[in-house]
Amino acid sequence: MAETTPIPRAQRKTISWLQKLWMALQTHYVYVILVLIWIISAIASPYFRMVPTYSNILTSAVPIALIGLAQTVVVISRGFDLSVGAVASMATAVASVAMVKGIIPSIILVLIIAVAIGAINGLGVTKLGINPFIMTLCMMFFLSGLNLLIRPSPGGYIPDNYKEVLLFQVGDFPLTAFLILVCTAIVGSILLQRRRLGREIYAVGGAPERARMSGINVDQTLIKTYIISAIASALGGLFIAARIGSGNAEAGAPYLFDSFTTVFMGGTLVTGGVGGYGGTLGAALIISSLGRILQFLGINIWNQFIAKGALLASVAGLQIYFARKGRQVE
Amino acid sequence: MISRIKLESSTKQFLALALALTVIMVVAGLATPGFLTYQHLTMVLYCNTMLGLLSLAQTLVILSGGLDLSIGSIYWISTMTGALLMLDGGTLLPALICLLIGAGIGFINGIAIAKAKIPHVVMTLAMLISLTGVLYVTTGGGGHGRATEELIAFSTGRVLGFPYISIVWIALTIIFFLVLKYTPFGWRIRAVGSNPVACRFSGIKVERIQILVYMLSGLLAATAGLLYLGWARTPYPTFQSGAGVGADVALKSIAAVIIGGTLFSGGRGGVERTFLGVLILACLYSILLMAGLGDEWQIMLSGIIIISVVVIYGRARST
Repeated sequence: MAETTPIPRAQRKTISWLQKLWMALQTHYVYVILVLIWIISAIASPYFRMVPTYSNILTSAVPIALIGLAQTVVVISRGFDLSVGAVASMATAVASVAMVKGIIPSIILVLIIAVAIGAINGLGVTKLGINPFIMTLCMMFFLSGLNLLIRPSPGGYIPDNYKEVLLFQVGDFPLTAFLILVCTAIVGSILLQRRRLGREIYAVGGAPERARMSGINVDQTLIKTYIISAIASALGGLFIAARIGSGNAEAGAPYLFDSFTTVFMGGTLVTGGVGGYGGTLGAALIISSLGRILQFLGINIWNQFIAKGALLASVAGLQIYFARKGRQVE
Repeated sequence: MISRIKLESSTKQFLALALALTVIMVVAGLATPGFLTYQHLTMVLYCNTMLGLLSLAQTLVILSGGLDLSIGSIYWISTMTGALLMLDGGTLLPALICLLIGAGIGFINGIAIAKAKIPHVVMTLAMLISLTGVLYVTTGGGGHGRATEELIAFSTGRVLGFPYISIVWIALTIIFFLVLKYTPFGWRIRAVGSNPVACRFSGIKVERIQILVYMLSGLLAATAGLLYLGWARTPYPTFQSGAGVGADVALKSIAAVIIGGTLFSGGRGGVERTFLGVLILACLYSILLMAGLGDEWQIMLSGIIIISVVVIYGRARST
């Protein structure tokens, strides 16, 4: 959480490089954990010394990261978005129906629908004053019904060249997936750290009243936040469609849990105004690695469900514990 | 001077709800003959008793400023555990174990939310997905076990055409109405929901109330699960991939609570309103079914109804 604790200039000179390293490790603890997980599993099993394993981890991290980005932005603005999974499912369902007519138009169609969904969420939360939880819950309700009408059973048509582009590999290295992850990192950090909108989102999440008094248009910022969230989720859904090669009205639902886990693991606080996409990206890689490890250990899908739930609860609990402890120290 | 009869605003809202329910029923009755018969109405009551009990539990949680998304999965856990345990015969002991499991899961929720301060949405969502896993690991996902004859007799029994289990629902609604209105525990639930900080300063043990409420919710959900077991005999849980077992019922229970006019922010509302909320929802679903529109329409409509009700109540309050 680098952006919360700026170090006074006077102190900065006296810090040794060892302390600097230690602090860097603390801020990027997700990546430390990720590397540790990779090292331990590589020592334990030859399967984790092979490139295809990591290419698989990278590929399955893409939707988790994109939908995690969606949730990160909203949680920073002190909201919740329960519709992220349903928006991703919508993207797969619409893509599987529309891609017969053409790839680019159907991607544009999906994005337009996503913008509309985000705008409705944002308008409901701001102009109608509906609790974000209720608003996005209803959106999830509505979309899951709509998805079933669009695509009653899994199937549909996803063109081969679309799949080939998104799952393009050089040797064993999934180039497109890697590029997408890098892009989300660049876009996510520029959006949140450098752009005016990003700073406004932090301000609104940290202290909505103060943000309003300092002249930020809180409503507009929140509406934009929900639109960004819906677009990121829809992009995640478009990638899922390429991976599963069809449309599925419920394909995105599991990613709702993952989005919360990545956000909290990445150090974005549920109280709003603190956090960033860097942590979420690392956490997305951790989660897809853990998925691989559980699969490799032969743990069945239902036990994985238990593990996922326990992980989400403990990550949230730990984060809140450390946040409270930090506040007491200050 | 003519003194006008002054009604409390909550009584007014309750009457408005009852009026809305009557209008919906009359419209449905005019559209389909046979809707307004004793037989059909008790059937509607009967089919929605389980949802009613879950919504009752959800009302208590929402009144205390919380939310329980795991309510549907506790319900299914109780059903499946009961079915497996009742294979060996005996009704009371398995039922007791189910109720204990329900209360235990509620206790874990409560501890995590009240003590560890995990947001209720996150904690109960995590519980929902964990319980889905537990359900399939331990029971293999349905088709095993069977309710005992006594339970089946109770769940399907009727007195003068009126189902026993609906009497249980109505009785519990009345009990919790009285508890909320006349006992310190009931006042504290509302107080914790409307202003936890003030409660803490006035010496109310906020954490304890929250934990108790989640335990009650688990207990009521387990009760509903047992009643459903007797109804379904050998249960098969419905599972939407990824959303978790019982997510749909949990969402419907929230819908019923909100239609009843209990505020999502906690403190205001009541179980008697949720009772009407469940009936309104039930009538709307039944109308949809008669129009030949399936499950997905029910889900879609629930979303639209909640939002419109929230907006209408918001407008009514601000004017």
